[in-house]
Amino acid sequence: MTERGHIPESRQREKPRADLQWIGKSMKRVEDPRLLVGKGIYADDINEPEMAHAAVLRSPHAHARIVSIDVSKAQELPGVLCAMTGADAAKVCDPLPTWASPPVLQAVIADDRVRHVGEAVAAVAAVDRYIAEDACDLIEVEYEPLPPVVDPEEALTSTGDAVLHPERGDTNIGLERKLTFGPVEEDFAAADLVIERRIRWPRSGGQPLETVGAVASFDDGAGRFTIQCNTSMYNYCGWMIASTLRVAPHKLNIVPTLAGGSFGSKMFVHKVPVLAAVLARAVGRPVKFMEDRIDNTTSCDNHASDRVYYAKLALKRDGTLLSLKTRIIDDYGAYLQFGVGQHGNALSQCVGPYRINSVEVDLAAVLTNKCQQGAYRGFGSEVANFVIERLVDAAADELGIDRIALRRQNFIQPDQFPYLIPTGNMYDSGNYQAVLDETLKLADLEGWRAKQAEARKEGRYIGIGVATCQERSVFSATEFWMWNLEPGVEWTSSPDGVSVKIDPTGKAFVTLHSPFWGNSPETVAAQVLAEQLTIDPADIEITYSDTDQGLNSTGPGGSRFTVMVTGAIVGAAGKIREKLLRIAAHLMEADVRDLTLQDGAVHVKGVLDMKMSIAELADKAHYYRLSMPEDLDLTSGLDATYVYDHPVTTLPDPDERHMGIFYPIMGHSCHIPVVEVDVETGQVHFLHYAAVHDCGTMVNPMTLEGHIRGGTVNGIGTALFEEFSYDEAGQLTTALWTDYLIPTIKESPADIVVGHVETPSPFTEYGVKGGGEGGRMGGPPAIAAAIEDALKPLGVTIDSLPLPPSKLRALIRDAQARAA
Amino acid sequence: MYPFTYHRPASLDDAKARLSASEDGRPLAGGMSLLPTMRFRLTSCADLVDLNGIEALAGIERGDGHVRIGAMTRHAAVVESPEVGEAIPALAALAGSIGDVQVRNRGTIGGSICFADPAADYPAGLLGLGATVNTDRRAIAADDFFTGLYETALEDGEIVVSVDFPVPARAGWAKFGNQASRFAVVAVMVSLSGGSVRLAVTGARSHVFRVPEMEQALAGDFSAEAMDGIAVSSEGLNEDLHADKDYRAHLIGVMAKRAVRDALAQ
Repeated sequence: MTERGHIPESRQREKPRADLQWIGKSMKRVEDPRLLVGKGIYADDINEPEMAHAAVLRSPHAHARIVSIDVSKAQELPGVLCAMTGADAAKVCDPLPTWASPPVLQAVIADDRVRHVGEAVAAVAAVDRYIAEDACDLIEVEYEPLPPVVDPEEALTSTGDAVLHPERGDTNIGLERKLTFGPVEEDFAAADLVIERRIRWPRSGGQPLETVGAVASFDDGAGRFTIQCNTSMYNYCGWMIASTLRVAPHKLNIVPTLAGGSFGSKMFVHKVPVLAAVLARAVGRPVKFMEDRIDNTTSCDNHASDRVYYAKLALKRDGTLLSLKTRIIDDYGAYLQFGVGQHGNALSQCVGPYRINSVEVDLAAVLTNKCQQGAYRGFGSEVANFVIERLVDAAADELGIDRIALRRQNFIQPDQFPYLIPTGNMYDSGNYQAVLDETLKLADLEGWRAKQAEARKEGRYIGIGVATCQERSVFSATEFWMWNLEPGVEWTSSPDGVSVKIDPTGKAFVTLHSPFWGNSPETVAAQVLAEQLTIDPADIEITYSDTDQGLNSTGPGGSRFTVMVTGAIVGAAGKIREKLLRIAAHLMEADVRDLTLQDGAVHVKGVLDMKMSIAELADKAHYYRLSMPEDLDLTSGLDATYVYDHPVTTLPDPDERHMGIFYPIMGHSCHIPVVEVDVETGQVHFLHYAAVHDCGTMVNPMTLEGHIRGGTVNGIGTALFEEFSYDEAGQLTTALWTDYLIPTIKESPADIVVGHVETPSPFTEYGVKGGGEGGRMGGPPAIAAAIEDALKPLGVTIDSLPLPPSKLRALIRDAQARAA
Repeated sequence: MYPFTYHRPASLDDAKARLSASEDGRPLAGGMSLLPTMRFRLTSCADLVDLNGIEALAGIERGDGHVRIGAMTRHAAVVESPEVGEAIPALAALAGSIGDVQVRNRGTIGGSICFADPAADYPAGLLGLGATVNTDRRAIAADDFFTGLYETALEDGEIVVSVDFPVPARAGWAKFGNQASRFAVVAVMVSLSGGSVRLAVTGARSHVFRVPEMEQALAGDFSAEAMDGIAVSSEGLNEDLHADKDYRAHLIGVMAKRAVRDALAQ
């Protein structure tokens, strides 16, 4: 035990190996064929007999009291089954789930007050969506506008009518706390230099093509709901939805559908399924509610971090980094569904890959009249990456040290792992030098420096950026509650389970207890089970459980699914392998220690042709009980379930000297983009892009590369274009994709050259690490650095994102004016 | 979308008859702008008269000193047309810069100019090249055709049949497009014909306009540098989330120069 905590023993069973058959192969995705031929069933594909359709009337005001609401004309429209107000909804359901403690209460339909544009004020169920939408137009609402709170720094001092939740006190500060880890003041006192920057990270969000949707029905005979929905975490905390609906948890079955993309945004969907469910119960028919795009962008609860940082980095003249202090104002919007989990997340890697001795984080989470924050690729850690990388670049420039050299000088060294950072989180393993070296090779840095110099002579502005970023994976539940002021949900488990069955013919069936989100859980499960049982992935079928059948499973998010599914499959396959060997030993009259499983059969070591295939053994296991040993525990069939717990997590220190280990499976990446800035228009073009990631042992390099490239384009969106922008009145001015700009192929590099380094985790099965978010974690700081480098002759500094042409052109114009 | 009656006439006369028989009829060309506005209930009509079945309205012909493009000719056909490519490559470039592949395969020149979106590309092409719009009842010079925000000189029920583009000595196209829609934030078509210059800007005001100061400077010296020092006032220019009026004014100068360089490169 040290000041930063202790490191538990590893529970790894499967070591990384060179002779793996399936893990590490770029196998084609198991998920794709049915999706590509249009046979995947998404939420909107579901049609139940007698199914009604819902539409929602949304607030045009950012902040207002609802003086009166009259749904009578809507109810009279032929085809309308029900028009429900907030007061109606409050009679049949409780506030939506929240992890914040003390909570910030959110109703499924706003009752007395609306707190952001797009908040639901009424919902209609009708025989079709057209009628439902027409009926919404007939609802009369009288509002009394209240002062809109839009600017996060002004929200710090709001009082009176500008307070969103007066029952929590006369303030819009949802939570304010300062956490100190290590000797911050001493380190700052010892510093030769302190770099100070104000950094602005913009509100953006995951933009899946498919919005959130649910089809709910209520069986009033059984008193039971069924909700089909494109959500996640239903087998972890789906019972919370039942609580909201005021039924016992066993009176709700949540059935997952395929999700047409999430990027985190569908992590724990609650408002849409609850809305569909209360309407279904009210009208006595199944109800479908599928968000349209404006429903989604204004009110989907998945806007992401929206932060102002006042950041200070203390260092020695020789370049040694000492300490980091940040004052953060985070604009959480109107509610706090996940508490300030995004800042738990950010504490996991806030010092980046660098040896920094101490950290202070002073956070104010403010409540404003905007859609609340949720989950989006990075979940708050991508912002911490941006901040530390901008500070390190600024420090290098200030000291006149090469930006790459300063990074190398401060990297945690390969022999220092596992390494506890000041906040207590552990970096399990890493080799940052190797990742940097590999990226420099792919990027041809020297070549581009020469081209940059040539281009400058022609008045062209080429820039090269380097970012070396952490890529934490496999969250533990701690991140959701570690900042809470009062005890609330304080879970320490975040497992994932699988069920595996071998049928009498030897074919394998895997049930996943978490959903398909657009990533590759089936491919991972097939590859790992094939590896474990030495069978062909083509002989494995994958399905998904509902909550009736489900095992405790946290689900995708936080780049955890590959690690967790791998662990669960290893656990379940181990049980099956043991049974296969036991039966084979009996049938072949051999000692179980002399048996080995290979090529889909149990062999007697060293005896040619003494073997039984898995199919033969499965047949015996299912139908020939009397040929089996008489052991009471040997039941017929060949199946196993396994719930794999988080591989390594510890509790926060009771005195908060550290937060324990909560996000330890630490990947790393280096991104080197080369950009050209058109200084006349402010447009940025990518000339080259190299990205190397270390996600430990790779299960499937092809799908990992898809994650890296897709994530990097996400990062380009964040760096250059995407912003949920609210005007002074609190109107969302970028509610549609005509204004919320997502990078297309035209704005992306012609290629993102991807490379890999594999530093296996000593804690996970086979040494796998997560890699779902790294592209968006490394792209923005690297791109900002490249633009700054390109505009170095003009003296432009980049400290806020995004940088669309108009904004970058304004920075260039101002710099030119200063120079003139 | 509100309900409407769909018509698909096979001839121009049939289309005219159906439009005149309707209290509230609208012709449908490619539908790239009209259908989304109908979908959002910003527009509605009792009768939608689809011109896509009228073969005579589509096609490209090289005439004496001009290129004639039928109103229902798709943008993609203009991009791929050898006649346009040879005679007015800048016009092919303009068509190639519209929207995306799906829009270019569906959208038409007639639909674009009749809808008269302030940020559409073809209005700059027509005005910058001095084109003539042929309707079922008359010929209208491009200078007279675009009259305001989504407004043209067309009368009720008047149908555009084709557009005649005179072949210039040189022409150039430069566009700064909106990233999402690819509509012009600012785009410029410039042409030089027998010593006279036309320079038209789209995306910057309620409708396409010429810049006489630039045209005069270019008439004396057809080079980008000839426009040095000519600033377009930001007064009255469009403003939106992606470009304020100062940025647009600045872009007009930048795109005008790039259009001239494009013309000189051909």
